[in-house]
Amino acid sequence: MTLFILRRLLALLPMLFAVTLLVFALMSLAPGDFLTPVKAQRDINPALIAELQKSFGLDRPWYEQYALWLGNVLHLDFGYSWTYKVPVAQLIAQRAPATLLLSLTSLLLAWTLAIPLAVLAAARPGGWIDRITSAAAYFALAIPEFFLALLAVWMAARTGWFPIGGLTSLDHDFLSPSSQLLDIAYHLILPTLVLGLGGVAGTLRVLRANVLDVLQAEYVTAARAKGLPEKVVLFRHVLRNALNPLLSTIGYAFAGLLSGSLLVENVMNYPGLGRLVYEAFIREDQFVVLGSVVVGCSLLIIGNLLSDLALAWSDPRVRYGR
Amino acid sequence: MAADIVRALLRRPAGLISACLLILLYGAALFAPFLSPSIPSAQNLQRTYHPPTALIWQNGRLCVQRYKLVDPSTASYQPLPDEAIPLQWFSKGVSYKFLGLIPADRHLFTIPTSDPIYLLGSDATGRDVFTRLLYGAGISLSIGLIGVALTSFLGLTIGGLAGYLGGWPDTLAMRLTEFLMAVPGLYLLLALRAALSSRFPSDATFLLIVVILSALGWAGTARVVRGLVLSLRERPFILAANILGQRPWTILFRHLLPNTFSYLIVAATLSVPGYILGEAALSFLGLGIQEPASSWGLMLGQAQDIKIFMLNFWWLLTPGLAIILTVIAFNLLGDALRDAVDPKFRLPGR
Amino acid sequence: MLRLCFLLPLLATALSSCTPKSKVAREKHPLPAGVDTSKHEIGRQGGVFIDSTPGEPSTFNPLVSEDATSSGFIGLFLDSLVHNNPVTQEVEPGLATRWEIAADNKTFTFHLRPGVCWSDGHPFTADDVVFTFQAIYDPRFPNRAAFDLSVDGKKFTIEKIDDLTVRLTTPEIYAPFLETVGGVGLLPKHELESAFRDGSLLKAWNVSIAQKEPRRLLATGPFRLRSYQPAERIVFEANPHFWRADTQGVRLPYVDYLVTKLVKDANASTLAFATGQTDAEGLSPDNVAWIDQYATRYGFSVFNRGPSPNTGFIWFNQNPGKDASGKPFVPPHKLAWFTDRRFRQAISHGIDREGLVRGVLFGRGQPLWGPETPANKKWYNPNVTQYPFNPARSMELLTQSGFSLGPDQKLRDRLGNIVEFTLNTNQENQLRANMATAFKENMRDLGITVNLSFLDFGTLVGKIQDSYDYEAGMLGLTGGGDPAGGISVFSSKGRLHQWHPNQKIPATPWEARIDQLMSDQLHTLDYPTRKKYFDEVQKIMSDETPYIYLVTANAYVGLKDRWKNIRIPPLGSLVWNLDELWTPLITP
Repeated sequence: MTLFILRRLLALLPMLFAVTLLVFALMSLAPGDFLTPVKAQRDINPALIAELQKSFGLDRPWYEQYALWLGNVLHLDFGYSWTYKVPVAQLIAQRAPATLLLSLTSLLLAWTLAIPLAVLAAARPGGWIDRITSAAAYFALAIPEFFLALLAVWMAARTGWFPIGGLTSLDHDFLSPSSQLLDIAYHLILPTLVLGLGGVAGTLRVLRANVLDVLQAEYVTAARAKGLPEKVVLFRHVLRNALNPLLSTIGYAFAGLLSGSLLVENVMNYPGLGRLVYEAFIREDQFVVLGSVVVGCSLLIIGNLLSDLALAWSDPRVRYGR
Repeated sequence: MAADIVRALLRRPAGLISACLLILLYGAALFAPFLSPSIPSAQNLQRTYHPPTALIWQNGRLCVQRYKLVDPSTASYQPLPDEAIPLQWFSKGVSYKFLGLIPADRHLFTIPTSDPIYLLGSDATGRDVFTRLLYGAGISLSIGLIGVALTSFLGLTIGGLAGYLGGWPDTLAMRLTEFLMAVPGLYLLLALRAALSSRFPSDATFLLIVVILSALGWAGTARVVRGLVLSLRERPFILAANILGQRPWTILFRHLLPNTFSYLIVAATLSVPGYILGEAALSFLGLGIQEPASSWGLMLGQAQDIKIFMLNFWWLLTPGLAIILTVIAFNLLGDALRDAVDPKFRLPGR
Repeated sequence: MLRLCFLLPLLATALSSCTPKSKVAREKHPLPAGVDTSKHEIGRQGGVFIDSTPGEPSTFNPLVSEDATSSGFIGLFLDSLVHNNPVTQEVEPGLATRWEIAADNKTFTFHLRPGVCWSDGHPFTADDVVFTFQAIYDPRFPNRAAFDLSVDGKKFTIEKIDDLTVRLTTPEIYAPFLETVGGVGLLPKHELESAFRDGSLLKAWNVSIAQKEPRRLLATGPFRLRSYQPAERIVFEANPHFWRADTQGVRLPYVDYLVTKLVKDANASTLAFATGQTDAEGLSPDNVAWIDQYATRYGFSVFNRGPSPNTGFIWFNQNPGKDASGKPFVPPHKLAWFTDRRFRQAISHGIDREGLVRGVLFGRGQPLWGPETPANKKWYNPNVTQYPFNPARSMELLTQSGFSLGPDQKLRDRLGNIVEFTLNTNQENQLRANMATAFKENMRDLGITVNLSFLDFGTLVGKIQDSYDYEAGMLGLTGGGDPAGGISVFSSKGRLHQWHPNQKIPATPWEARIDQLMSDQLHTLDYPTRKKYFDEVQKIMSDETPYIYLVTANAYVGLKDRWKNIRIPPLGSLVWNLDELWTPLITP
């Protein structure tokens, strides 16, 4: 078991190497570099540009730059952001909590809403709950996330019911701890709804199908025959088994924790990692991009590992190994 | 088999309605130059942010209401009472090339005067949103089809070969797909787009986007096809073909792959929305289709401006509605197809 | 859910009313001996001024700052020897109370304001000024000021006369000397000397320090940093050691806090203002259209600053060079059109600038005919050649140059080549995209086919500055300020002389003339003489039209009515005199 986990984690290293190499190569292929906007200013001296290029290492070929970066990474130094002159690890650590918080609340929303709805919908296929939820799910899956975010921002602007962007109010520092929590919760409502809606719909569809499957299993018939109340059958016997396949989606959910909300963060002005990463891509702030790719990629692989473990834990028939 | 699917589909109203809607949409995209009264690049700087023109029934004919600009500083227009121009049907208008080949100048409807018809209002430079929506449909809808075709082809070939040949080609292909699936998609998208953009002229961005989206998308298909081929390989009819001494290529392309088609059709239908939404997201970020071409994503990206909301230029959001409708239709059709093909068949969740 | 909807606004008001109502207690320090007394109306201490800015400061270190956002924040806490007042466009005393210019016009003696302290109470002296220039000129720290503060690559020399006197000498007469020195934020020697010694000066005062130890960013300006939360906000508080006071001896600034919300883009910033969240906002012409609707609801007014200093233009690539493989950058027959002045003038006459202003800018802008907009009052030349929309005149000019319109409504040159070119511009700017599409339509009426190519900014700059493989471009530059800032554009050697950059010797007599004028204006301190030279540069630019100028939008500022004592400059920051701003209503 430990060996299995170790092997999987070791496999992470070549993967990270390949992915960062690919992203770095692609970024160097892109025209222009971090200094392009500087070059376009009208009162800047070419000698300064040359000096800056040298100090950033941009005068060397890309593979040399990459090798240098890789060498530093082996010493756990992920480089520093050219824009902010701050170590990348520090920058990411600073922005990650906000994104993590948003991802977790929307995941929570997805599961707490989707699980009971899916069971109720599957209990009476074709019933009114089923019809309404599946229609809503079709709609929720079809509406582009960024469009929904845009509409939410506008709604907030028009009504004034919700804050527009940010995670804290201006007077946050002066509030009591409990009000501070409330303040954050208040700012989280809209982004969570926007980000969670797709999750609710997706989970609902998968889970409903699973529940329908399990309902046809013999032990369910047996449970019913025993005269157990329908509620107990549904929520104790059926749901527990129907949730199994959902465990495999934990991996995806985990992977999306830090990168899934890039678009929504950008549209909704949310102070998380997504905005940082997107800006870094646009500005070609290389080391920030590479750092975030490392984090995103590691999370994806660890997430897959977690879902494999969860599956094995819940279903003894699944064995470890290739 | 195709007939079976169609018959099964006919029994499901949701699927049928979606199929009809999609045919309608693709038809509209195909006949866009004929259906639209104008061309997508025609501007009218005197008539920016014009509201949708009302159609009224007058003297037994369908007429277009005329408007006057009351306040240019807020782009507010007022209908001119008793001034309406009757529509002309199948009349001559701006010339265009139908399907890019056949020169033509007939339009479904125009009006005899130089007044514009804005069925869905006009945008920041006075271009007709209805026309741009129709022309944009061509790009947005075909990106889905071409992308899926490309992905299916790649996935089928690579997955099929990997499953059938086994050994090192299999290992190589599987490592490659794992690699692609391990990269956070949006990051790779941004990097690819940055790297490739200078190698495509801006009017070929369309191609660029298809290439990027398909390059990221084939891995999933390939893995499932490989799995299917692996299980089919042990089935009696393949063993029989082997014994009969048929050549491996024949077995692969005549026997194995055709048996994965039903899966592919369903998977393809269900993955079209991904491409449409992907194009929209890219264009929304300003990284997709470029002016003066039009696509739904681009139009929606241009509608991000707050003034559009604050001044109630709601007609500029119609591309969003178009995207939603199309995606719902594809999902419904895909589900209906899946039920028709194999009710027990389950696709990996998206 | 319905109940929740009603509850939420209540919750919101409950939260917003938690702002501290009590008067903020300030540190009390005696006013410096050299206190500067404000001549404006007397106000009251207190209040929070809130604004927003798109983007994020990348640093608080003036040696590193490359962008306007960072520089704007640095300007709030780091003061300089002199100020350029954007309202009067005059140089005013700052940390120096007066200065003398020697007869050679190269030696400047500055007398520092006595008694000024840094925000930690440490006295400000000539040592800090000398230290700042040392840091700027140190080759270990490549920075932009080092190049601004030099003439033909030669540095200025600085010497300390006594604790309150410094002398700066320029190697040659340098016209924009005072304006340039006015932009240099002076650094605290006692705080930064160790970083200077160990070579880590460029990493000092980065965003991370600003978050953890905001007080270490010492201030001489009206404000000092209180806190910085990335992607959320920056809070400045009144600097208790600031060197200005009102006539009653109350120390400025009046406001307690200056809060800047950090938002994603200009759209979000405008939205924050329109919903009453912020006190001030720069508004673009298209947003003025609707924002008035909210003026009474949130108690603000919109002020017209007049034309903005931003220019937009189209130009043709006139570079006769060839690339590495021997292929000319521009096909020879097209180069012949582009280098033909009448062709460029014809294009200019063919652009419906009034239409652009009316349609794209909602009537809030004006046509532009030369390199400076009227915003730059001190240097703008109104008597440049104009090219009003006149397709008939265009055709006349084109016919004179041998072009003719065929029966297929396509323009051909005298050799029979169809006139067609590709216009490159960047895709990020929606307003520019609208202008490009409008330009295409205008040209079609002249029988000219324009293909549009929207590129990433990086690709575009690469084409213009490195590979030169393009036909026409459309960009904007922010004008304003001293003509010295335009040397790289106007001089034929310049990097941004975009139609034909980095020329060894001027390709045309008129470019040679501009080179001469730009060099002459730089080496005299006499304003009328400089103005005469620069007027001629503007005139030549409009006659020869290497840049075909388009339109300039008006700039607007929205401000909450509760603020008194407002001075809005035509260029630069929204409010010039933040330290004198006050409000009779303390709680927002």
